[in-house]
Amino acid sequence: MSEQNQVAVGHEYDGIREYDNPTPGWWHLIFFATVLFSAFYWIIWEMDPDAPTLASTHEKQQAAVYKMQFAKLGTLKQDEATLLSLMGDSKWLAVGESMYKANCASCHAADGHGMVGPNLTDDKYGNVKAPLDIVRVIADGANSGAMPAWRNRLNGNELMLVSAYVASLRGRNLSGPGLANDHEVAPWPQAPAKPDGQTGSSNAARPAGSTGDGVSLAPSASTQPNG
Amino acid sequence: MSGLPHSSPGSVTSTPPAAPGGIRMDAFVYDDAIVRKFLAATVVWGCVAFLVGLVVALQLAFPAANLGIEFTSFGRLRPLHTNAAIFAFAGNAIFAAIYYSTQRLCKARMWSDKLSALHFWGWQLIILCAALTLPLGLTQGKEYAELEWPIDLLIAVVWLGFFGTNFFMTLKVRRERHMYVALWFYIATIIAVTVLHVGNSLAVPVSATKSYSVYAGVQDAFMQWWYGHNAVAFFLTTPFLGMMYYFLPKAADRPVFSYRLSIIHFWSLVFIYIWAGPHHLHYTALPAWASTLGMLFSVMLWMPSWGGMMNGLLTLRGAWHKVAQDPILKFYVVGITFYGMSTFEGPMLSIKTVNSLSHYTDWTIAHVHAGALGWNGFMTFGMIYWLAPRLFQTELYSKKLASAHFWLGTLGILLYIIPIYAAGLTQGLMWRAFDDAGQLKYPEFIETVAAVIPMYWVRLIGGSMFLAGALLMAWNVLMTWKARPAVYAEPVHDAPPLFPDYDDGVAPASELTANIKTGKKLDVWVKAFWHRVWERKPLKFSLLVLVAVLVASLFEIIPTFLIRSNVPTIASVQPYTPLELAGRDIYIAEGCYNCHSQMIRPIYAETKRYGEYSKPGEFVYDHPFQWGSRRIGPDLAREGGKQSSLWHLYHFYDPNQSSPNSIMPRYTWLITQDTPFSGIQARVRAMAMLGVPYGKMVNDGAAEKAARDQAKAIADDIRRQAGPSGLPEQYPADLENKKVVALIAYLQRLGVDISKPPPAEAGAATASTTRGH
Repeated sequence: MSEQNQVAVGHEYDGIREYDNPTPGWWHLIFFATVLFSAFYWIIWEMDPDAPTLASTHEKQQAAVYKMQFAKLGTLKQDEATLLSLMGDSKWLAVGESMYKANCASCHAADGHGMVGPNLTDDKYGNVKAPLDIVRVIADGANSGAMPAWRNRLNGNELMLVSAYVASLRGRNLSGPGLANDHEVAPWPQAPAKPDGQTGSSNAARPAGSTGDGVSLAPSASTQPNG
Repeated sequence: MSGLPHSSPGSVTSTPPAAPGGIRMDAFVYDDAIVRKFLAATVVWGCVAFLVGLVVALQLAFPAANLGIEFTSFGRLRPLHTNAAIFAFAGNAIFAAIYYSTQRLCKARMWSDKLSALHFWGWQLIILCAALTLPLGLTQGKEYAELEWPIDLLIAVVWLGFFGTNFFMTLKVRRERHMYVALWFYIATIIAVTVLHVGNSLAVPVSATKSYSVYAGVQDAFMQWWYGHNAVAFFLTTPFLGMMYYFLPKAADRPVFSYRLSIIHFWSLVFIYIWAGPHHLHYTALPAWASTLGMLFSVMLWMPSWGGMMNGLLTLRGAWHKVAQDPILKFYVVGITFYGMSTFEGPMLSIKTVNSLSHYTDWTIAHVHAGALGWNGFMTFGMIYWLAPRLFQTELYSKKLASAHFWLGTLGILLYIIPIYAAGLTQGLMWRAFDDAGQLKYPEFIETVAAVIPMYWVRLIGGSMFLAGALLMAWNVLMTWKARPAVYAEPVHDAPPLFPDYDDGVAPASELTANIKTGKKLDVWVKAFWHRVWERKPLKFSLLVLVAVLVASLFEIIPTFLIRSNVPTIASVQPYTPLELAGRDIYIAEGCYNCHSQMIRPIYAETKRYGEYSKPGEFVYDHPFQWGSRRIGPDLAREGGKQSSLWHLYHFYDPNQSSPNSIMPRYTWLITQDTPFSGIQARVRAMAMLGVPYGKMVNDGAAEKAARDQAKAIADDIRRQAGPSGLPEQYPADLENKKVVALIAYLQRLGVDISKPPPAEAGAATASTTRGH
């Protein structure tokens, strides 16, 4: 910068004078660079109809995670055998646990002992007689909406995974609140043998997720979640 | 100050008027009494603003600090803190600076002492109204524009009617031919703030204390952040640059570094700033083109902002030895440095990918405080220490105390912003962390809150130090005032009035020889002779500023409102029921938007946590929008149906019971206070006026009946959900009458319409009374 030859422009206001130093070159350079960058950015991202949008980027992200998660799983059948075999698979139980913590822990507590919602760790249940009832209660809700319905929020596979985790909480036997219609339920049946080492009864490797299986657990437009 | 020799304005000499007897001289006295008033108000309100900031910061680390009182809960006090800091502290500081410097730069007393007084007392009345209404929960629910419509009207009158008129008339009667750069920035401030305030605050009143924004959803969000960001630009930047241009060369006794730079950075700042607002809405339901414009203009804003910083810091060349000894210059150096840091960080945060991490986190809070404490705070403190001895016509009581203030303040800022930057990064990274199985690593929101609480405690230490410094200043100013003379001297100044004919002289010729014509023209143009002409025409200058502000605004506003594809309609999205509307108003009054967003971004980590991302069509009946800007608690856009109504009831009574470690305060008063059912009809009618299709619900008594029916249904549901043992005794028997039920009705409606079937026939447009049970 031109420290040596400063030129006062002869302006003086209340004793304040001004130099007429030229603006530094790098200032112009960066300013024009930002303008140029902006022009190119606009052309590339806003004028090209094929440029990725936020929605399409999100869809890609989602598809990638679904693929990673569910390529092996396919679309899970909503039957007892599938549920029981998921309960025996620590990898998929961990996935169910994460969903449980995000969605269920606010009422049933992170360890399942129950707060506003009932204890899930003992042998007593209010609306459940068999493992598959857990899936139904989570999908449709129960007790006048005290248990919200989740079918519009979780897809078919997610319902099965979180149900498997909930079923697996049984046996921890922590103390916690119960329900008025609590009754003791017979132990869960044993999981069927898995000859191929794979999770029980998956369908073809159709990417799971957005559509569910379209049978019993598909998101239903006519059902309002706790509506 | 007195006896300054009259200097010929400008480099161009001109012929004096042919008045008999030579040049007539006017004698005049500056009005410093008004500056003293604004200075005192700045000191007092500054301490108040910092203290309330400390209280809300404490509440974040320790929620019980609100003492369980509704008037001191975080959601109501946080707007008080921001309003006090911006409009009371910075506002009065701006006025002190403008009233002191404008008179001297114009060689004229303020045009009207009456308007000056009306301005001062009117502004203090506004602050008082804010301090009373915000804790009462009277708010429009838009950040930094919370004040209700009667106060908004008062602001418009005081700002433009009293302050603006007084300022522009002073320009008209000035005796200095050309306007100095500080005055340009004051002009931009007054014009732009008027446009922004009026544009964003348009509302339909329901009663004297309640109104609804005329804009809804996406458009309301756009207008709010067009206003919100330009409040930063034209309330916290341009007037402070004007302040810098006057007080810094005064304090350093050095000429301003570059006249040319001040021209180029002034105009680029004024034109470019206006566009930048949408960067507050990246990844939201705002159309992508607007968001992109917001980002690009923010990036382009970097150098215009740094032009101001350079003109400040480079003015100190040759005076750095003074900085070591003078606390005033120290304040200025640190203040301008923070300005440079903030205006680099701002463009960086506006880049979409950076913003996807920083948005909704404490990073924004740290950024804002680097600017507010560092730039606005320190520039003001420097000005106060410079002004106090001059206004009170004595020595500053203690230079040592001023130095102590500087160090306390500087360390306080660092101890504030460093932990809060860390908190922002920590929480942002935790929100988006996935494990190997593609699951959220921290699925429980509360984990991400617990992680940053220790940093909230450190912030509290920093904030305390900053406040302690301000208190030292208050003491210093008070003691200086005490040593004032019995009667203030009022030196009489003289200057000739401006004569009507003025010859600008001829534009300088180009010194280039070997260039083409265009090159020579450009060479003349950059010498800015044309601008010198503008500088002696305040009306033309002001109109050009107005055009710059309006043109830039309309480029974004017109398409936002007119292009239909911006907000694709969703047939199943219906108006809120009357009870849900009443509940929404409680949500707004309690300031829930200060901690909860209602805007799920199309980012997988976010849809995984909260559900389907928010669509523009979901907000068409939201007057005002409630997207929020910070997630101290989780997003609520899809809260409807996620928890049982019973859970919500328990949670409002004691959040810690149902979510251990929650820092949400208890809302016990919602369980004891009645919903104002009788006022619901008027609210529905006001909404209908704004075009919300309420059908027959506007008929006398219809809305109230519907609201009571729905409240009964929800209360019955809650009792059923509680089971045969019933609700614990702390919950009233007439639960249906209580505010909490209306609020639960609203929360259970959030985000559920999108998964409903569209209404069968046109008649069904009337909001259903049975919804939300």
